[in-house]
Amino acid sequence: MSVALLIVAVTLAAPSPPEPPPPEELNDPGHFADLADEETRAKALFGEVAKVLLHPRCANCHPATPRPLQLDARRPHIPWVVRGKDGEGAPGLTCDTCHGETNYLQQPGAPHWHLAPAEMAWVGKTPGEVCRQLKDPARNGGRTLEAVHQHLAEDPLVAYGWRAPAHLQPAPGSQERLAALFRAWIEAGAHCPQ
Amino acid sequence: MTDITHVSRREALGLLGALGAFTLGVRLRPAAAAEGAAAGGEVALFVSIRPDGRTLLTSHRSEMGQHVWTAMAQIIADELEADWAQVEVVQAPGDAKYGDQNTDGSRSVRRNLDRLRRVGAAMRAMLRQAAATRWGVDVEACVAKNHAVAHPKSKRRLGYGELAEEAAKLTVPAEPALKARAEWRYIGKPVASVTVPTVVRGGGSYGADVRLPGMLYAVVARPPRLYAPLRGVDDGAAKAVPGVVRTVRLPTLEAPPRFAAVGGVAVVARDTWAALRGRDALKLDWGPGPNAEYDSARFLEAMQKTAAEPGTVRRSRGDAEGALKVAAKQVEAEYHVPHLAHASMEPPAAVARWSGDRVECWACVQAPQSARKAVAEACGVPLDRVTINVTWLGGGFGRKSKPDFVVEAARVARAAGAPVKVQWTREDDLHHDYFHTVSVQRLTGGLAADGRCVAWRHRTVFPPIGSTFTAGNTTPSWGELRMGCTDVPFAVPNLRVESGEAKAHVRIGWLRSVANIYHAFAVQSFAAELAAAANRDPKDYLLELIGPPRHVDPRGEGAEYDNYGDSLDEYPIDTGRLAAVVKQAASRARWGRALPPGHGLGIAAHRSFLSYVATVVEVAWDSATKRLSIPGVWSVMDAGTVVNPGSARSQLEGGTLFGLSNALYGAITARRGVVQQRNFPDFRLMRMDEAPRVVEVHVVESDAPPGGVGEPPTPPAAPALCNAIFAATGKRVRHLPVFRDGNPNRLEV
Amino acid sequence: MATTLYVNGAHHQVDADPETPLLWVLRDHLGLTGTKYGCGVAQCGACTVHVDGSPRRSCVTPLRRVEGAAVTTIEGAEGRIAEALRAAWIDLQVPQCGFCQAGQLMSAVALLKAVPKPDDADIDRGMNGNLCRCATYTRIRAAIHQAARAVK
Repeated sequence: MSVALLIVAVTLAAPSPPEPPPPEELNDPGHFADLADEETRAKALFGEVAKVLLHPRCANCHPATPRPLQLDARRPHIPWVVRGKDGEGAPGLTCDTCHGETNYLQQPGAPHWHLAPAEMAWVGKTPGEVCRQLKDPARNGGRTLEAVHQHLAEDPLVAYGWRAPAHLQPAPGSQERLAALFRAWIEAGAHCPQ
Repeated sequence: MTDITHVSRREALGLLGALGAFTLGVRLRPAAAAEGAAAGGEVALFVSIRPDGRTLLTSHRSEMGQHVWTAMAQIIADELEADWAQVEVVQAPGDAKYGDQNTDGSRSVRRNLDRLRRVGAAMRAMLRQAAATRWGVDVEACVAKNHAVAHPKSKRRLGYGELAEEAAKLTVPAEPALKARAEWRYIGKPVASVTVPTVVRGGGSYGADVRLPGMLYAVVARPPRLYAPLRGVDDGAAKAVPGVVRTVRLPTLEAPPRFAAVGGVAVVARDTWAALRGRDALKLDWGPGPNAEYDSARFLEAMQKTAAEPGTVRRSRGDAEGALKVAAKQVEAEYHVPHLAHASMEPPAAVARWSGDRVECWACVQAPQSARKAVAEACGVPLDRVTINVTWLGGGFGRKSKPDFVVEAARVARAAGAPVKVQWTREDDLHHDYFHTVSVQRLTGGLAADGRCVAWRHRTVFPPIGSTFTAGNTTPSWGELRMGCTDVPFAVPNLRVESGEAKAHVRIGWLRSVANIYHAFAVQSFAAELAAAANRDPKDYLLELIGPPRHVDPRGEGAEYDNYGDSLDEYPIDTGRLAAVVKQAASRARWGRALPPGHGLGIAAHRSFLSYVATVVEVAWDSATKRLSIPGVWSVMDAGTVVNPGSARSQLEGGTLFGLSNALYGAITARRGVVQQRNFPDFRLMRMDEAPRVVEVHVVESDAPPGGVGEPPTPPAAPALCNAIFAATGKRVRHLPVFRDGNPNRLEV
Repeated sequence: MATTLYVNGAHHQVDADPETPLLWVLRDHLGLTGTKYGCGVAQCGACTVHVDGSPRRSCVTPLRRVEGAAVTTIEGAEGRIAEALRAAWIDLQVPQCGFCQAGQLMSAVALLKAVPKPDDADIDRGMNGNLCRCATYTRIRAAIHQAARAVK
């Protein structure tokens, strides 16, 4: 390493939050149009959907335990917070104690910031497992697939996935593309990957 | 010798002075001449009774949660026979006339108990005399009690306030009669703290709470690495932030750090938020400086190499090398404690206001005289132009003994031409601390065939605190070694202590119990490792190492030893007292009881600051979730005479948990010279759910002279924890912290 | 640009950037220094206040968000629960340095309002966001239990 390069590196090492990696790509439904077999196409489409669902911006608040994860590193949330009643945290330390309706400074925020119920846990699951879970009204909040689509397409808390504070990597693609992929998956028969 | 003397209203000016008051002070040996004190001693440590009976006393020590205000008031009130409700404490500013004002070393009570008792006793004697003279009766027939003097025979009674003016005219008795210990009313009692009722209403003023008319707010962008030069400043965008008034460039620190500021650029604004946003907008070009290559992981390897080689012998008994060679079994272990940050809940903050060439500062400092001197030197004004007002401290732990932040406030306020508060953020605090040093220790033990320890070799390697005061100092001092290393009290026939050299790359300072932290961790962990190697119970083996009751004197074995500044005659290294706390802690923890699966008990004991503490920790290990918890802690402290057993118990609880918190999570690391921890998520502290549900502490009742209370609880905590982890899991944690990846409650076993 | 704030039962006109954290408005503009700065990133809880009766970390609450809301700080915390907690804090001599205790008390008030008789697990969860470097946790726990008993 040349001296000049070393100095640049040193200057960059000044204390500031680390930059997140750039957003991942998310293919649009057209990318899968070549797959003639509907079931194959549906499975591939859900694999793309799962890139979003299992991304830390989404999965961190669909934890497998009562405790959410945080950051791109999927670290257990510090301080220790729990799902609590209606996913809104424990009395004395509800989610809205620290998270407002919008991002503020480095603090993530969105309307009705809360945790998904335990039966909607995604952390540690494969795309196939999440898929079957999403189709199961007992584990998707009693929703039809149409209602799940609406949640993914319109819920402002879902929208947060692409509007995270700068130090966090946004979810892949966009909410619109996620909704389109999910729509295409439904139309292809809503088959789940293994 | 009469060191207690009358104080005129003028002398006590601004603090306690009132017309018709009766004020005594103590003529103290001034602090070191370097602090600029005149020889002979000025009167300080005032106690004043006003005509309305209100009794004020100065605390020359800083209140930082150890409840020193209350302790001082207890001592005075007891000998004075004062009404507790009438006693108020006033914080003294930094002035050499108060003698040693450094609130560290766990010595505020140790150094002042006798002195304050005599002031109270003298005042009581004079008040009795004043009453006796007024009534024309024998002074022996007059009784001082509850803020009044009574003459029971004639049923006459005069309050202290009514007697103040006459008492003030009497001669101060040379040797005032002190109360018998059995008659103490406040000393030795768990008197409630005088500060707590204010705290629970959000009152009181900490350093950050000081507000002056016209005050501006500043934050400082400091060098990312120690001594990194500032090559270029573009403050255009910073100045454009609404509310920002100006920037002030501070000179880059030159080695050694001492108490000067590290340099950088201050942003001065109308409120803290504008200052912070202005700082964010600064574009600064920092050069690499001499520490750009510092990487804590690589440095650890270098220290490990040093510890693997023989070092300088600092204490030797018998022939440890020879005994190790012939021992039936040899045990060796290497221990590492990383840099730690103080992380007091109140980050440093100071306010300064100039008037001509005089500057008045308000700051949360443990050592106001150091602050005064540092400000005077940095600003080029004589010492007597600098006033340091001491606020409450939102925790100190040694950080606030270093007044670099007061220097910043004085410099920025002068440049700004207005009163300025310099507020440190948590990120500033973690990046620019005077860190607890980093250490590697290698211990080697030789066991006889029957398991007895016959040889003990301890090598310790750490960048010394001396590096903060002398550029290039790499040699551990006797003062650091005697904190748990050269004063090891074990009854082993062959003993050898060595130290190795290590260079500092950050500012090093003292943190609650200082070198005792890492030395006790290594020594008490290794004691348990030897017990395991000998297949013995760790508590029994520890007692065997401590040996029979006796007084240990390291000086006969080549060590320089200053015993925390007190005499070994008055405060011997007493193995009987150490063994006693071990036995008591074990008994209170019911050592040897049947434990649930996955649970384990660990014990450790340590003498520091002339007090003895033993701690038992119980851990619970859930192998399925890999979750480690600490259900219980039992701690026993023998600190000799204790003025307030209530606050001593508080310190024992808090100091133990402070040690556990550091052991679980504490680590400051650096890459390319830059500290990697930014805020509390990266420098974790114990939280409510991690604190043991059972914390049982006991403070031994003792007539021995008072020892320290604030620091001695901390050293045994970490080794007791790791000994418990070993008992529960078989995993020996030799490198702290226990959780290194910041992932809480997960231990790889 | 002036914002109207309602703090501890009184209206205040504050001339500050609406993006300013409530913490600095309280401390620097209103002189309510009982609310403390400890981290600025919602990690320590020293800045806890109540907004319309619910706990909020004032360091991550912008001024604009509390316009028209009722803000309560430690100085203005009143009622049976707050006083029972204060009494227990004094009785059990909870504070050491005291710096975090305003935040601890504000969280404890919120906890007892929601759970009048909390068990240890409730206290673990509700008080987990408040750090204490003096580590007074054991006494905080005991004082919350004591206050809960006193409130009836």
